[in-house]
Parts: sequence; structure tokens; C-alpha cells
Amino acid sequence: MPKKLNIVLAGQANVGKSVIFNHLTGLHQHIGNWPGKTVEKAEGTLHYKGYTIDVLDLPGIYSLATYSIEELVSREYIATKEPDFVVNVVDATNLERNLLFTLQLLELERPTVLALNMVDLLEAKGIKINIKELQKILGIPIVPVVAIKRKGLTKVLNQGIKLVKSGKHARPLKYGKEVEERIKKTVKLLKSIKLHYPKRWLAMKLLEKDQEIRKLVKGACPKILKKLRVFCRELEKIHGHDSSIVIAHERCHLVSQIIEKVQIIKMPSKKKALERFDNLTTHRIWGYPTMIVILASMFLAIFKFGNWLSGYFGLISEVFQNWYAAFVGTSFVAGLCWSGIEGALALIEIALPYILPFYLLLFFLEDLGYLARVAFLLDSLMHKLGVHGKASIPLMLGFGCNVPACLSCRIMETQRERFLTGFLTTLVPCSAVTVVIMGLVGKFMGIGWALGLYIFIFLVIFGLGKLASRILPGEPTELIMEMPDLRRPNFKTILIQTWIRVKDFLYIAAPLVIVSGIIIEGVHLAGGLEGVAWVLSPITVKWLGLPAITGILLIFGILRKELILVMLATLLGTANFAQVLTPAQMITLAVVAMFYIPCVATIAALAREFGWKKALGITIFEILFAIGIGGVVFRLVSVFI
Amino acid sequence: MTIVSLINIKEGQAAVIKSIAGGWMATKRLADLGLTPGTKIKVLRIAPVLGPIEIEVRGSKLVLGRGLAAKVLVTTK
Repeated sequence: MPKKLNIVLAGQANVGKSVIFNHLTGLHQHIGNWPGKTVEKAEGTLHYKGYTIDVLDLPGIYSLATYSIEELVSREYIATKEPDFVVNVVDATNLERNLLFTLQLLELERPTVLALNMVDLLEAKGIKINIKELQKILGIPIVPVVAIKRKGLTKVLNQGIKLVKSGKHARPLKYGKEVEERIKKTVKLLKSIKLHYPKRWLAMKLLEKDQEIRKLVKGACPKILKKLRVFCRELEKIHGHDSSIVIAHERCHLVSQIIEKVQIIKMPSKKKALERFDNLTTHRIWGYPTMIVILASMFLAIFKFGNWLSGYFGLISEVFQNWYAAFVGTSFVAGLCWSGIEGALALIEIALPYILPFYLLLFFLEDLGYLARVAFLLDSLMHKLGVHGKASIPLMLGFGCNVPACLSCRIMETQRERFLTGFLTTLVPCSAVTVVIMGLVGKFMGIGWALGLYIFIFLVIFGLGKLASRILPGEPTELIMEMPDLRRPNFKTILIQTWIRVKDFLYIAAPLVIVSGIIIEGVHLAGGLEGVAWVLSPITVKWLGLPAITGILLIFGILRKELILVMLATLLGTANFAQVLTPAQMITLAVVAMFYIPCVATIAALAREFGWKKALGITIFEILFAIGIGGVVFRLVSVFI
Repeated sequence: MTIVSLINIKEGQAAVIKSIAGGWMATKRLADLGLTPGTKIKVLRIAPVLGPIEIEVRGSKLVLGRGLAAKVLVTTK
């Protein structure tokens, strides 16, 4: 009979948690959402010494307060789901700040193992840690680990299993006398209350004025809060700060005392090549050209590679289509089935040549630590859009594909920031929109006009960002971010991360793209599209000044925007668009194509992140906006050309 | 010894936190990151055009947005 264990990985961001998680679980992992929350939940399973161990990778957080949803989810899980043991992953080169979190974790009183990661980097940084002493002070087993080299991971598991067998729970450390007295008194008050948290932890959170816990306790016994106020005031009198800060202050103080006992730092002697590169990447002047070169060469490489590979894919699917027509036929039903297959093929044609390499390079930059530098450099620019520097990452992703861009909005802290960033990413021209702009305006009117369109898009994004951040309730958040050291990326992590995202993209996009593809094809085969074009003609012909068939193009474009160009060639029977469209029409069509709707896959991603109501809201807004601005652009351009 | 805002500190200069002139949320957040009164910090880099400020605190590097950094009041020696 295999025994089951349930463990969690907890720690701050950038400590190598996901590397450990990937090593432990391999590809046996499932990335989903916490029920009802847009917080990622990564679970996996491993078999070890007759145990089946379910591993949960908690999000990287800096505290167990309620500042972000991630923190709330994490502490609730540890306190109420009672995992068999907790692995606290700690970055040995950042011991002091990491211990601030460890102390909070100990207060939750679960069996805990401390995995001291990146011990191999200590020497180069001139840091020495007395692990034995630290272990004595914290009262939990500490295992030195080099996660990227898989070193020490089995020891972590062994220590955890040992803890489970002995039933030894972590014990919180003691703070200063004045604070301890108030904690004890509060614990006494809480005696009769039945809540699924350790009493001491509840007491501390009450003294820290934690809103969630106050609500819980108020529900159970409202009298307690009154008595509590006395203790808080006493603490405030003694320390001269608000009682919420007093506890945090005590914790910081305790940690610096521990650090003094266990850590010695001798300045490293020489500057390394990476460090010099680091100074370049964040330089107040040279940082920007460096960033432009890095990002531009990344996009260029992806587009070159993507175009090359998708050329082959195009040939293959053409052969496939001919076979299909020969063996299955071209009847109505066969045609419908083919459009379903074509939808699936097309998704792979986008995923493999564009999205896959895009993610590979992006996670490479992320693992290198470079993306944090981009956020640092672009923070003030992003503030003009009503968001902070971290939003630059989803927005960059948007140039590849809006779907992963929407999903990555989770790196923003608050719901408001996530939604705002998500909305802005849907306006970023993805690779399909670039195909339309380049294939239409770039090819037949010159590259200058195409670049002009890009500048126009950025201006629109700025304008709408400013507007939306005014309209949305709530305050903009300020950037708080750890600046990770640049380090050598780990390729296994990059590969696994990439694979998970690509899989995510296919799962989210496939159902909607295939189903709506079949529906549109059905209408098309039944001869209904001319009708649709006729219905839309007041908008397309009268207001936008385009040929009536563009109504059909825009319907197909909902599936994938590059279909606008493909269908234009098919319906007009020529690839020389200059013969059939005037320059003003080309620009108008490109502008409408850029904004008129997020494609179905993006709508699905929006719905997953923000719910259907908001997803449809964005969709309807963008349709109206594109029609409005398209007509204005047509009239303006017609005057000048 | 004068009290100034963190945004007035030059690159490479060290300072000690005196107080946080912000609401409960900001104060608590900064405290959780180890930025409490009495903490020694050093300004490492300042991004141009009113960008964020990178500081060294408790042996690690942290980036604070300009608006938040303005709320951190410090003294220099």
C-alpha cells in the first residue's frame, strides 16, 4: 500500500522554487488556477521511497500578509489544508530578506524543512553561513541545495519524511518582552475561539491589524477586538509606531540578530563579466539602446525563423488538403469537417514557428534576470499608461501573441492592474496583425507608411491606457520588485516553462477557434456570407469607404487576423492588392484590422483571466472603437492622398 | 541631521530610514520587505526620467517606484 504525502514549496520570488518543483515532478505537473482566483496553482506528483508525494508550488511571495491574492491563498493553504510538511526554499545569497519570510512561516507551525538554495554561489560572493548555528536557532532541519544541479533534493525529502514520522512541528521564535507579553495575553483571549489557525499566529495577526483575520475573529467573538485595542495602544506607546509596524519591526530586528550570528560577508575581490554586463543593462543612458538591440534582435530572429518554418507548414497543409479533397470529397459535410481540421492545423502553424521560439527566448531572458531590468528601465514610461514597470513584460509578450500576453498579466499585483494590463495587451499588434500591416501597407505603400501605422498604434495605446486608468476605480500601485542578480540560465527550466505555456495556448485557443471556424465555414458554404457582407455594408462601404467584401474578411479575421489578407487574395482572385484597393482603403483596412476585435483565442484568454463579462466588454468596446477610428482615418487619409 | 525623502539621495549614497510617510498598506508592505525605521540602506541606481530607485537593503537589491520611494523618509550621516 503506497503511502500518500502532501507537501508544499514556499518561498519568496526568484529563489529557485520552480526549478526545484520541476526537478521533483518533471512533466507530471498540472498548472491550473486556485478555485475562483486568477492565481496560478502548480501541482505535481512524484514517487519516492514508497511514498506518493503530491507537491504544490505556492506562488513566490514576500510575506504572509494580505497585500496580494497570492499571499492570502498561500497562508490559507498552509494553515487550513495542513500539508504533511512545508519546504521553505531560501536563497542563500539573500539570507537576511529570505529569513523575514521564514520566520512568518514558522509561525504557522507546520513541519518545515529549509532548503538553502544556491549555496554554490556563496563563495564567489564572499558569504559564509554557519548552517549548524542557523539550524539551532530556527529549530528546523536545514539542507544545503543547488537546485539547478539537482544537488540536495533527495536530502530535503528525507528530512521531510523524518519530520512526518516524528511528528515534529516548527515552533515560532520569540520576540521582545513587550511584544511577547501582549501576544500571550491575546492568545488567552482567543482560548474559546475555534479557528483553523494556530492561536499564536492569530494573536500576532490581530496585533498586526490584519484585516482578514480581524473579520474572522469578529465573526466568532466580537468582544475580543475591543480588548485587543488596549494591547495595540500599549504597544504603540512603548514603541512609538503603529502596532502593525511594531511586529514587522521586531521581526526585522530578530532577523538581523540571527544574521549577525550566522553570516559573515567578505567583499568579493574582482568584478565579473556578468556584473559589467549588468551595469550596462541598467545604465541611465546605455541601458536603453542595449534593451532595444536585445529586444529587436529577438523579434527579428523570431520573425525570420517563423516565416521560414511556416512556409514549410503551408506546403504541408496544402498537400494535406489536396489529399483530403481527393479521398473524402468536397461535399458540404466534408467541407465543414475540413474547416475544423484546418483550424487545428492553423493553430499548430502559429504555435510552433512563432509562439514556441518566442517563449524560449523570453524565458531565457527571464531566467537570466534581464526582464526585471526592462521593468526597471520602463517603469516611468509604463506609469504614463497607468500601470507600473512590470506591465512591460505582458505588453512585450503581446507582440508575439495576445493569448500568452493576457495570461501573463498575473505578474501584476492587484486586480485593477491586471485588468488594465490585459486590456492594453489586446491592443498590441501581435504577429498576425504585423502580417496584415506588412503584407498590405508595407508591401504596396512602402515601409514608411507601415512604421507610421505602428507609431499610430502606440499613440492609441497610450491614449486608451491613460483614459482607462482614469475610469477604473482604485489607485495605481507603485512598483516594488526584487532586482535579481544576472545569472546563467537553466535550460531545463526554460524548456519546461515554454512547454507549459504552449500547451496552455493550444488548450485555450483550440476549442473556440475550431468551433467558430466550423460555424463561419458553414455560413460560407451555405452562401450566407454575401448576406453578411450586405448587412455590414452600411458600416464597411458607407462609413469606412471599403469594398463590400471586406465585411466577409472581417468575419474571418475574428478567427485569426492574418486571414484578412489570405481571404482578400482568395475573394479578389489577386495578390496584387494595389489593383483593387486605393491607398486610403489599405490604410483604413489595416487600422480596422489592428483594433476591431481581439481574436477568438484572445477573447477566450480574457474570459479565463477576467470572466466573460469583462471579456465581452473589451470585445464590444474594441469593435466600436475600430469602426469609429477607421472612418475618421479614412476621411483624413483621403484628404492627404 | 536632516530628514529627507529617499528620492533626494544620490546614487551610491547610504542612508538610514527614519519613518514612512504613507498609509497603512504602503507602510506594512515596506516593513514586510525589511524596510522599517532604523534600517540602513544604500541607493544603487536611479532610473532616468523620474524612474524607479534601486536600493540595497539587508543584503539584497530592491526596486521601488518613484512615488513609493518618495514616502520613505531617511537621514544621511
